[in-house]
Amino acid sequence: MTEPDASPPVMPADEGLQPQEMLLEFRGSVREYFRIWIVNLCLTLLTLGVFSAWAKVRKKRYFYSSITIDKTPFQYLAEPLPILKGRIIAVVLFAVYWFSSSFYLPALPWVLGAGMIIAPWVLSRSAAFNARYSAFRNMTFQFRGNYLGAAQTIYWLGLVPLLVVGTMFQWWGNFQAAGFAFLAFYFAFPWWLSRLKDFMVRYTAYGGARGRYSARGGQFFRVYFVAGLIVIGGGIVASLVMFKLIPDAMGSQWSVLLASVPAYLGYMLAYAYIQANVSNLVWNHTQLGPLGFRSTLTGGGMAKLYVTNALGILASLGLLIPWAVMRTLQYRADNMRVLVEGDLAALNGGSVSAVQAAGAELGEMFDLDLSL
Amino acid sequence: MNGHALTFQGYYYNGRQPLRHSATLQFVYGEATLTWDGEPLHYAASNLLVSPRVGRADRFIALPDGGQFQCPDMPALDALPQDSQTEGAVAWLEQRVGVALASVVLIAALLSGGYEFGLPVAARHVAAEIPMETEQALGDESLVWLDDSDWFKPSGLDQATRDRLLRKFAELSVDLPHAQYYRLEFRESGYVGANAFAMPGGTIVITDAMVKLAETDEEVLAVLAHEIGHVELRHVMRQVLQGSAVAVAAATLAGDAATLSAAVTGLPAVLAQAKYSRDFETEADDFAFQLLHKHAMSPEAFATVMERLESKCGCKPGVLDFLSTHPVTSERIKRARAAAQDPASHDHRVSVE
Repeated sequence: MTEPDASPPVMPADEGLQPQEMLLEFRGSVREYFRIWIVNLCLTLLTLGVFSAWAKVRKKRYFYSSITIDKTPFQYLAEPLPILKGRIIAVVLFAVYWFSSSFYLPALPWVLGAGMIIAPWVLSRSAAFNARYSAFRNMTFQFRGNYLGAAQTIYWLGLVPLLVVGTMFQWWGNFQAAGFAFLAFYFAFPWWLSRLKDFMVRYTAYGGARGRYSARGGQFFRVYFVAGLIVIGGGIVASLVMFKLIPDAMGSQWSVLLASVPAYLGYMLAYAYIQANVSNLVWNHTQLGPLGFRSTLTGGGMAKLYVTNALGILASLGLLIPWAVMRTLQYRADNMRVLVEGDLAALNGGSVSAVQAAGAELGEMFDLDLSL
Repeated sequence: MNGHALTFQGYYYNGRQPLRHSATLQFVYGEATLTWDGEPLHYAASNLLVSPRVGRADRFIALPDGGQFQCPDMPALDALPQDSQTEGAVAWLEQRVGVALASVVLIAALLSGGYEFGLPVAARHVAAEIPMETEQALGDESLVWLDDSDWFKPSGLDQATRDRLLRKFAELSVDLPHAQYYRLEFRESGYVGANAFAMPGGTIVITDAMVKLAETDEEVLAVLAHEIGHVELRHVMRQVLQGSAVAVAAATLAGDAATLSAAVTGLPAVLAQAKYSRDFETEADDFAFQLLHKHAMSPEAFATVMERLESKCGCKPGVLDFLSTHPVTSERIKRARAAAQDPASHDHRVSVE
């Protein structure tokens, strides 16, 4: 046994750890999506909404199959019937809410209370449904969050229940209590949102690996704080326009109209800023097995997109909606990178995660999609 | 494809690991052979399932052992068993430019027809079936809420004026189908000035300022006849029904755009509802003109009181009229004068009988 070891030398460790980028492409086209959108919309109207479940499946199939990572498109696998079931339940719930809020206000707090009880169920069921019917490379995603976990997440610190109970006993009639509740909510919301994202990521699994989430509530707070400043800035400019810049001769209606422009732009910019930065925060702090993500959306880029989308949609009486949808997805895809650290083969879901296993669960009684 | 050898180039996924293997799937006499970097796999072509066509995206063929084969879309794939038959038909429609153009025309016709005729007619019939009592809880509560807040204060009118107006109001409404639900309330209100409201459930509120603005009882009755029109024609219920339907339709139409920009979904719904509201005002005006004629009064009283109201507030038509819930006042005055000249000039859909 004097022979030196004949096996090849061990690869240097850093070679295996160097993250590799997987090419993410968006292949959707406005022409194709326009046809899909208009045909499904027409069928939905003709069937008084019944077809909307099929329309949802068709549109989601198109979105999913337009996004490819390393040449493989995503797959949306849901059947329309469970979606239709979910929508019928949603319509009934909405009708109860609508009736009590339009005609029988004393019942409204109790309706809201009942809504509070079923909300965690809706959240966890629809996340599970969505994950189970989303697949990449013949492997479906899973979501394992349950009712209790969802309830602990959304009712954290009892903020939302406080609001509902407050409505029940009409605390909102009291101006100070309402103001205090609003402030408490504004300052606690970023932490609440971070917990919600944590819940969604942590219980999502793919190929036997569970999501890991590392963003902090404080990072969300910074985003919402800056957005609040943007809204206040827009409001200041709007009031300057309204009271200082417009001569009285132009009439009050014109000054309201002109002042609404900076107010709207401020609101739009804040909204876009939140969308971009919350997306970045969540993706950049999410790890799924060997997969990591880099999201580089900017508030300015999003705002430009939103404003041009709004103008295009209004000017075309809605016909440019597919164009707006496609260019928004394109922008999001352009600003997303998928990185692999290590070996993809480490993801091994066994046979349960194959696409056909998802279909086998179709018989499950509560297989329905409640997300609208 | 019987008899022919047919080969698809694509990728194979085993369903256990997210690895992409270059592969070919070859069909010979109803048997499919998958060649990849592992052992070749054999299947009966009839056991395969092809995913629905969507756009020009790659399609997936499900293999009986849990594997999947991905390949570019080709017409030949239609000869294999399909995963979903209904979606195949929809996909066929989606491929055609003519169908898309026809859809645009059909949607435009459905929406404008539904908005102009379908929804108002449906709401009128549904509202007629819903008992008036449904609205009463809401009306009573709203009045209590307004009384508790700073909006309404007790009326400062003297008892004689009130009794006289109550008697004439009763005479005006006694023969109407909803006579049992009418109740006239007087309130002092600094915020809203000269005004009158039809509350849900049949209660009509008139402000002291309105009574004082009118120079004759006939003018007060003209205003009340308009509010009676709102109640008699079930405008509260119809507004709720039509408004909800518009909101649902707007959400459906702009569903995709909702997340892209919230303002796009809200604005059309607001505009659509404002137009319905203006239609109701015109309808209530027409009803009032007829009711006044029936009680031997002239719509001229309505015209004079509206004129005084307009001159007092100094309101002029402006750029935001399309957002308004009420028609332009000068138009309403013109219609009242026309009705005073010719009792038959009103809208025939509205009937007082």
